[in-house]
Amino acid sequence: MLTETKPPTVTGIPATLLNGYHALDGTYDELVEANGATRQHANMVAHLLEKMTPDTFARCQALAELALAQRGVTFSVYSDERGTEKVMPVCLVPRVIAATEWARLERGLVQRMTALQMFLDDLYGEQRLLAERVIPSELIHGSKQYLPRLRGLRPPGGVRIHIAGIDLIRSPDGVLRVLEDNLRTPSGVSYVIENRLITKRVFPTAMDRIGVRRVDDYPTQLVERLRSVSPVDPERSTIVVLTPGPFNSAYFEHSFLARSMGIELVEASDLFVHGDEVFVRTTAGPRPVHVIYRRTDDAFIDPEFFRPDSMLGVPGLMRAWAAGRVTLANAPGNGVADDKAIYPFVPDIIRFFLGEEPIIEQVPTRVCAKREDRAYVLEHLGEMVVKAVDEAGGYGMLMGPQSTEAERAGFRDRILADPRRYIAQHRIELSTCPTWVAADRRLEPRRIDLRPYIVTGRKPTGEMDTWVLPGGLTRVALRAGSYVVNSSQGGGSKDTWVEAAPA
Amino acid sequence: MISRVADHCFWLGRYLERAESTARLLQVTRALAFDAELPPLHCWRPLVIVSGQYPEFSAKLGGESAGNGEVVQRYMTWAPENPVSIRCSVRAAREGARSIREVIGGDIWQATNELYLWFMGEAAASQYLQDRDEVYREIRRGTQLCLGLVRSTMLHDEPMDFLWLGVLLERIGQTARTLDMHHHIQGAAEGQGPLLQTALWLSLLRACSGFEAFMRRQQGRVSRDAAVSFLLFEARFPRSLRYCVRSALALARRLAAATAKKGTAAALARLEGLDRWLDTQEQAGIPLSVHALLTHVVEEASLACDELQQGLGGEDTVKVAQPEAAQ
Repeated sequence: MLTETKPPTVTGIPATLLNGYHALDGTYDELVEANGATRQHANMVAHLLEKMTPDTFARCQALAELALAQRGVTFSVYSDERGTEKVMPVCLVPRVIAATEWARLERGLVQRMTALQMFLDDLYGEQRLLAERVIPSELIHGSKQYLPRLRGLRPPGGVRIHIAGIDLIRSPDGVLRVLEDNLRTPSGVSYVIENRLITKRVFPTAMDRIGVRRVDDYPTQLVERLRSVSPVDPERSTIVVLTPGPFNSAYFEHSFLARSMGIELVEASDLFVHGDEVFVRTTAGPRPVHVIYRRTDDAFIDPEFFRPDSMLGVPGLMRAWAAGRVTLANAPGNGVADDKAIYPFVPDIIRFFLGEEPIIEQVPTRVCAKREDRAYVLEHLGEMVVKAVDEAGGYGMLMGPQSTEAERAGFRDRILADPRRYIAQHRIELSTCPTWVAADRRLEPRRIDLRPYIVTGRKPTGEMDTWVLPGGLTRVALRAGSYVVNSSQGGGSKDTWVEAAPA
Repeated sequence: MISRVADHCFWLGRYLERAESTARLLQVTRALAFDAELPPLHCWRPLVIVSGQYPEFSAKLGGESAGNGEVVQRYMTWAPENPVSIRCSVRAAREGARSIREVIGGDIWQATNELYLWFMGEAAASQYLQDRDEVYREIRRGTQLCLGLVRSTMLHDEPMDFLWLGVLLERIGQTARTLDMHHHIQGAAEGQGPLLQTALWLSLLRACSGFEAFMRRQQGRVSRDAAVSFLLFEARFPRSLRYCVRSALALARRLAAATAKKGTAAALARLEGLDRWLDTQEQAGIPLSVHALLTHVVEEASLACDELQQGLGGEDTVKVAQPEAAQ
């Protein structure tokens, strides 16, 4: 019964979408329980799907895809020909998060961000954490993202992680766990807002009944916080978004954010530094800039500081930052805190700085830099997911259970050559959500993750002011059996509905 | 506004106007080639000549191909190697719109993107084979929608001024070239009956979207001098050289006052000169050959474009006294 699906139609009655849908063995499904019953907080979505036939759903889905193409909601794929744009695939079946679960997550995310901010301040300051051996200092010094030259510098405005995206997954026991932190230039938030525009059009009644928390105030929340950390009077500050340009994979988002925050989108060549101050070239002459939401990597901020051979970036920008004349969001040097080899220590970091137990669980992780962990990983390569600490987007990764002998041998060599560069985790059976499979015209369970977005600024009183976007981006591995949700590797996205708290 | 963005705005205006104008010219020439008793070479070759691409065209496809309407249309509509083909203009407009999307707003971006997606897709390609005229109409509708949205949804400030200046300067060039193209055709039709002459003047007016406006002004009296004078000097016809130069001048004045760019000032001075020169031409009456007049106008308009652009690309002189107040 569990391995077979029921025939989709009974003569004369059109099949509805949930006919024959059930969770995969040994996997948590976000909509239905193992016994087939709908999870309570997701009842409305189940009702909605039960009322729809494959025909009606296919029509909605086609309309949604056309709307995204016409609005130009696209990303570029690096491995494709330069400048190729693709529509971010979207599945209209939303993922629903219960109000109580969200409240707890939100607290956990704020806790994590607070601790990571303190960690970065400490690392680029006193380094108590290393003195007390909470983290082996060779791990820190082995991180390519650690910038010792920045030690002793306080960022203007005092915030380092203005925008974070934390990737969460749900294991078969139903527990949401942090998989990784993105504290440099996390992307994807524009899809959250665009997806919502579309589901609002397609499922107005269901959204209304459930009471779904809004996401469209993200730009306002972000720009207020960026303004709050300006080195000059916030009301007299000029804020810009810095993009690598239209060929960047996330260009749509850069433009989207600038547009929805009502600020200028600039490229590096539009900016210059004069006497430690940053200016943007305008038709009316140079104009001072105070806050830069940069969507460029550290290495391409300032050729003077990072790569004397490079023509990319704004020469002198780091000088201006060090002089406290311009705020960079996120601050340079954050990469050390989202280094995958530092990740296993985050629970200890939380305990050390906050004296609290972490609210959100993590995934048990082996650090290949440690001898005993390395031995274990090499012995269990076929069961584990191995990741390069400094790669993202699903690149530089070995999916042990699906790998070939040759791939494993390749990773073995690489791990032995540079153990600091690798970590490994047992493959987690990511939770699934019903997902439209166009070829079969029906819903099937596909694996998903969740990336909430957290923005931080300062209150007028000086304390940190952290806000979590309700929900975040749910990414889905569209291919059957796949665990890779990245858009660059055949992943898509879903709207994420956070149930409004009961009044 | 950011100088790079100003440059993109200017070019977006030019590409949209160019795509519309090219589609209109192809549409009208096609109608002319069906009706008139002119050999196809005399209808189509001038179109390639005034586009400025005749040397490349004849090198690649042979000079005699300029008499083949299908070849010319394909070259002017689809050829990726022809920088003024509709394909290149639509693509460039869309690329430009994409990189200044936050300035032009969602409506204009979406209209430009939809035009591009339609034109590059299956639908336009098959319609081109089945209903050619409708393809040209659709391109014109698409670009007109974009330009209409520019005026009705954008803030009427600097970005729109740059964009519209691009439209007007492109239009000056296009009207002048269209008029010049008919100068070529008329030359070839020399000595033929007055009926054909009239048909050619009407076709010229259609090519400039000016047929109905002209008829209303002239109450149906068609003559060479009336048609030429209308397209050159009619101050209330939005495609006449007079109208475009004056409107461009007004925009350039506003921009020169708002910007600290030498290029804008130089373009302004040039447009002022052109406007005065047109005055003297109008007083002197329609010359026997308008070719020289048009050549001068095209050259001046293109120099004004160059100056404007060089000004935007150039380095700022850094004069950093006090940080100015944020807007």
